Amino acid sequence: MDACKTEIRLAYPEIISIFEDIFQHTGTLTTATTPDDVERWDSLQHIALIRALETTFAIRLSMDEMMEIRSVGDIENMLRRHGA
Amino acid sequence: MSPTVIGFPARGDVRRSRQSPVTMTCDTSIDEIIDAAIEAAPDCLRRRVILQAIDWSMVAPHKVSILLSSLEQAHVAAPRWLSRSLLLAGHVLPDQTERHLPSDLAVLNRLNRATGEPHERDKAATLDALAHDDRVDCDVIAALVERLIGLSWDEEAVRLALAHGHRVPDALSHAASLLAAHIERLPAARIRLAGSSTTHTLAEDLVPAFAAQGWRVDVTQAEFGGLLAELMGLQRNVDGLIVLLDFDGVAPRNWRTPAGEGFGLLVERAEILANALTEFSRRSGAPLLINSIPLPPAPAAGLLDRRHMLGLRRGVDFINERMLDAAERSNRIIVIDADQALSILPLRDQVDPRLWYYGRIAYSADAMRALARAFAQTWNLLRRGPAKVLAVDLDNTLWGGVYGEDGVDHLVCGEDSPGNAFRAMQQECLRLKGQGLLLVALSKNEPDALAAFERHPGMLMKPDDFAAWAINWDPKPENIRHIAADLSLGLDSFVFLDDSAHERDAMRRLCPEVVVPEMPPDPADRPLWLRRLTCTWPLRLTAEDETRAAMYAAERQARGLRASAANFEDYLRGLEQRLTISHVHKETIARAAQMHQRTNQFNLTTLRSTEAEIAALMEDETRGLALLGRVTDRFGDHGIAIAATVTIDNGEAVIRSLLMSCRVIGREIERAFLGELLQEIRRRGVVRVRGDYLPTRKNGLVRDFYALCGFTAAGADEMRSTWSFQIGETELPSSEFVAVSWGT
Repeated sequence: MDACKTEIRLAYPEIISIFEDIFQHTGTLTTATTPDDVERWDSLQHIALIRALETTFAIRLSMDEMMEIRSVGDIENMLRRHGA
Repeated sequence: MSPTVIGFPARGDVRRSRQSPVTMTCDTSIDEIIDAAIEAAPDCLRRRVILQAIDWSMVAPHKVSILLSSLEQAHVAAPRWLSRSLLLAGHVLPDQTERHLPSDLAVLNRLNRATGEPHERDKAATLDALAHDDRVDCDVIAALVERLIGLSWDEEAVRLALAHGHRVPDALSHAASLLAAHIERLPAARIRLAGSSTTHTLAEDLVPAFAAQGWRVDVTQAEFGGLLAELMGLQRNVDGLIVLLDFDGVAPRNWRTPAGEGFGLLVERAEILANALTEFSRRSGAPLLINSIPLPPAPAAGLLDRRHMLGLRRGVDFINERMLDAAERSNRIIVIDADQALSILPLRDQVDPRLWYYGRIAYSADAMRALARAFAQTWNLLRRGPAKVLAVDLDNTLWGGVYGEDGVDHLVCGEDSPGNAFRAMQQECLRLKGQGLLLVALSKNEPDALAAFERHPGMLMKPDDFAAWAINWDPKPENIRHIAADLSLGLDSFVFLDDSAHERDAMRRLCPEVVVPEMPPDPADRPLWLRRLTCTWPLRLTAEDETRAAMYAAERQARGLRASAANFEDYLRGLEQRLTISHVHKETIARAAQMHQRTNQFNLTTLRSTEAEIAALMEDETRGLALLGRVTDRFGDHGIAIAATVTIDNGEAVIRSLLMSCRVIGREIERAFLGELLQEIRRRGVVRVRGDYLPTRKNGLVRDFYALCGFTAAGADEMRSTWSFQIGETELPSSEFVAVSWGT
């Protein structure tokens, strides 16, 4: 059951597969992960990330929220705020 | 900023990173709830509770078996939504459930069951039909692609993912690494991409969109806002230019300016754009693909938007008009109708204002994919040329009913419903003929079937609308090859329309160059569907197009198309036909009599036996017998499709009737059936067999049937020819393409 444990580290483990799909990022992910740690997380792919979050969690982000997200922790806070 | 080359991103190996669809949960209390729900499944279904909420990918296969058998015991059929959730989660449903599933779910079930054996792969050919069908459930497509990748059936995975990429982006990302390898091998199209807004996302979407049409696109992007410079400058080392246009990029409005003055500026901008396009076509040899400006997502002048100078719609229409004028004078500018391309999306979903404010991206992600698809389809149309020939089936395609069975008077086609849908289909064929396509009739039918167009009052088409035809009982792929040779056209310029899944499948397998779209099953859907079929869209229309069909008609001569069926055997082998033979009994006697009453074409004696007459044959098993055969294949169950009755007298068996439904003609079912019939006769201690052929206006098809099955001629007159067979002396007829068994 080790596989279960590593995924629990994030409150929203779905983020792991989203990062894998969008950024091909397979390294560690923590709440402290920022665009500096993820090679393909640029302003263009940021749009793809937002879209993936919106479809996965069935939410809609505002312009401000799109701009505010600068780390995985920001994503989790935003998801909590949306009650996702 | 230097131009960047966009390629398809190499992605992680999906096979490694994705877990198998069915995994176990580790939480025991949840397990208990699920177990209880499974136990009470029939009640849960009746009261519509709990089962909907279960994530079946967390439930072990043996528990799903318990669920299914408890439903079966309670005589509750699994509802479609439950079957769908189970299949999406990777579970396998039993055969009897699969039979009632729509084809996409049935294929998913087969893939869930598959272990990767080579013989299973052949079944994946049905995927081609799904690849050509725009209406298939998106989640199912994504799941199918995932399964195919899991089975390492890479080619099928890539084909399906690309075919649905514009509507199922998930399928594309599942297959990303396979796609990258596939795209490498395609012929290149070097495209320069410019726009009046950000083009980066379009550049990415163009890659799978072009790949779906068989092209590898190498995109270089112009500098932001450099549209006019691109058009005026000289293009080097590119095969084409794609321009992404949007309203704000061409004519931003300033509402402080008075209406007249504002519209004047817009006119000026439109002129600049039109002049730049003209200049481009004068200087560049490469084609230019540009989209029209789509409907504005919201009006600026309310109800007056289309008419008033303040109106956005008026502005959009004006710019488009000028652009189309410029394009018309050039043979290198092609304007894509953005409203058509985006019509799959509601207006409000065609834009995502956040993307506009965030990065000046003019269209939503879905809209961008739809535009990419339209650009790619147009590119392909330009490079490979539109279709030249429309090859159409007759029965149940151009008219309702079967000519050889129903007779010309009963064919459905005319002014009234439901015949008007078929008449509209004929109207569409005539429209394409007027645009320069050649019409070819391709039908398994009586040779005189074309006469129906003259003799039936509701028909719109006439026999001489067809430039060529092959109306016989030979395989259609063979016929189409002969016609292509006769017309001196490549098979890749043919589009084939047929209502039969078998015929479409056979054509795709044996003539892969022919375009074989999935025609909608409902005749009412077909006329509009045909208008949307991009491969038939003309790029330019000339006066010659309208007369081309007449030219061919003049050259036409009667072409007796007799084909050898070499590779047709592969097709038959792939059908996995099963014939289950049984004696006629109480439950099937009505069907046996009905077949005797109705069958016209494959009917040796056309004896219209009634239930009582057939029942009499079965009374004494030393005096007669009556057999039925049920036919199934990879595509499903054809029901009872073949029948025969035999009388035995004085040590001789006489085949008094032998008939088969036209649905299964030409697939050797009859050979396998006759072989079993003869064996059954031998089991009754009889070896001398006689068969008669009684010619009618409709059964010319079986004139030589007994000869082909090893019978010897034993006399003939105008009324009948008689054939005999000595069991034991001649090899019994059989077919390697039909697996025979006995049932009850």
